[in-house]
Amino acid sequence: MKKLMIILKTMTLASVFSAALAQAEVAVIVSANNANASLDQDTISRIFLGKTKNFPDGSQAVPVDQDAGSASRESFNGTVLGKSSSQLKAYWSRLIFTGKGTPPKESGDDAAVKNLVAQNPNLVGYVDSSVVDGSVKVVYKF
Amino acid sequence: MLSRKSPLLAAVMLTGSQMAFANDLNINGFMSVGAGVLSNNDVRAAGYDDDVSFDQDTVVALQVSKQINESTSATTQFIARGSEDFDTENSWAYITYSINENTDIRLGRLRSPFFYYSDFLEVGYAYNWVRPPEEVYGRLDSFSSVNGFDLTHSFSVGNTDGSVQFYYGRSNETIDPSGDSFDVELKNFTGVVLNLNNGNWGSRLSYHQTDATADDVNDITSASDAELNEIINSPSSDAVELLARVAQAGFGDDFSLDESTAKFVEAAVTYEKGDYFMIAEWTMLDYDSELFVDDSAYLISAAKRFNDTVVHLTYTAHEDEKGSGIIGEFQNDFIRDKEESITLGARFDYDAGTAFKVEAQYIDEELRNGQDSESAMLYSVAVDVVF
Repeated sequence: MKKLMIILKTMTLASVFSAALAQAEVAVIVSANNANASLDQDTISRIFLGKTKNFPDGSQAVPVDQDAGSASRESFNGTVLGKSSSQLKAYWSRLIFTGKGTPPKESGDDAAVKNLVAQNPNLVGYVDSSVVDGSVKVVYKF
Repeated sequence: MLSRKSPLLAAVMLTGSQMAFANDLNINGFMSVGAGVLSNNDVRAAGYDDDVSFDQDTVVALQVSKQINESTSATTQFIARGSEDFDTENSWAYITYSINENTDIRLGRLRSPFFYYSDFLEVGYAYNWVRPPEEVYGRLDSFSSVNGFDLTHSFSVGNTDGSVQFYYGRSNETIDPSGDSFDVELKNFTGVVLNLNNGNWGSRLSYHQTDATADDVNDITSASDAELNEIINSPSSDAVELLARVAQAGFGDDFSLDESTAKFVEAAVTYEKGDYFMIAEWTMLDYDSELFVDDSAYLISAAKRFNDTVVHLTYTAHEDEKGSGIIGEFQNDFIRDKEESITLGARFDYDAGTAFKVEAQYIDEELRNGQDSESAMLYSVAVDVVF
């Protein structure tokens, strides 16, 4: 158990360091076909925490997460949602066991999320700015 | 705890092998292992006494859910509690049908949504305490599940997000007014819950009611004088004797439980900003029958996070409202009357999914059974896991 904890802590540290070294800019993206021009931090946070299921224009909003441990995800959780991974785990455990909500689906890395979001105007994700191209629209940056 | 060979183990192994064949079968679980010790046996506190015990706050649960088609899913939760010798129980079992993206209907066995923490009452990882304060949360155990349906509609107005939940059903439970337990049937078990969130603020308002019938109680409260004498001469339990004495004194009808309405009102406010969290929750119970006493209880709690550690402080107060005169005298024999408590605790998050908690609760039983009572310290620790 102790060994496992050390490995876990090292992994966490490693991801924090790699994020800091890269100093990457993270972009919140929707499909180029999505009608919303921009989203504010509060709206993004409400969508990713399952508090609202709609974009400001009323269309359905479905958030997608990156896989656990990705630098973009750490950065997104801390900056936009303002919660640590254990706070988020506690938040979702309030909803999972009642059928009242499930966390956003873990959908791979920056490239995978960009491809997914490009194909579906209902999706919203976050990726490292370097992978953004014309198939998606940046609605928020940090 | 595992050495007890809970039936859950078999369930874990079974689902483990099935998981490979159905990748849209969601399996979640939680487990808490708690221990506590009370400084004074003359005070009642979450089932603890002055020897360390491990059962009261130990629980393991496994939830399996499956999306059947786009709009329908099935969920069941098996739970084994240390306080019930780890007998596995189905606390939730329901089918969810989504009418649209904002409206869900659930059919089956549901947890009665009385309190702010009801939905995740036993998921220790979801909150900071070892257990939600008993002074507020320990009062409605007999009504904790309902078989029926609920409808939840979520909505957004500007920056305010909310949901309204309506439920209706019935339930068969047991009550234990004074050590003995009686079967009670709860009909027209219904309620409505309104949740609102805006920025850092949240609120929850709820109203619940049911018509309760307990034939075993009514057999005594409506018995003839001869039958009552017989019961009092050789009572099968303290509760039975008490009921017989109530009936003999001419108050049988007041204490009967024949479609007697019970009402419960709750209001909570939360505030969360950065590392700070605050909740205040107030509740009130109102029974038509004198078998149960009306009461009110509330809690106020504040927490602050320091990196991976949360420190929290909570005040609770609970007060029973007895009937007047002789009715109140009889009620003295099975109620606590008045108490307050202060809890100071800390939660340490090792990693996403495991938390360790310690807390100390000062409990002041001002009055119990109409008499001056004592105070005690309850020390508790727990490890909570979700997976």
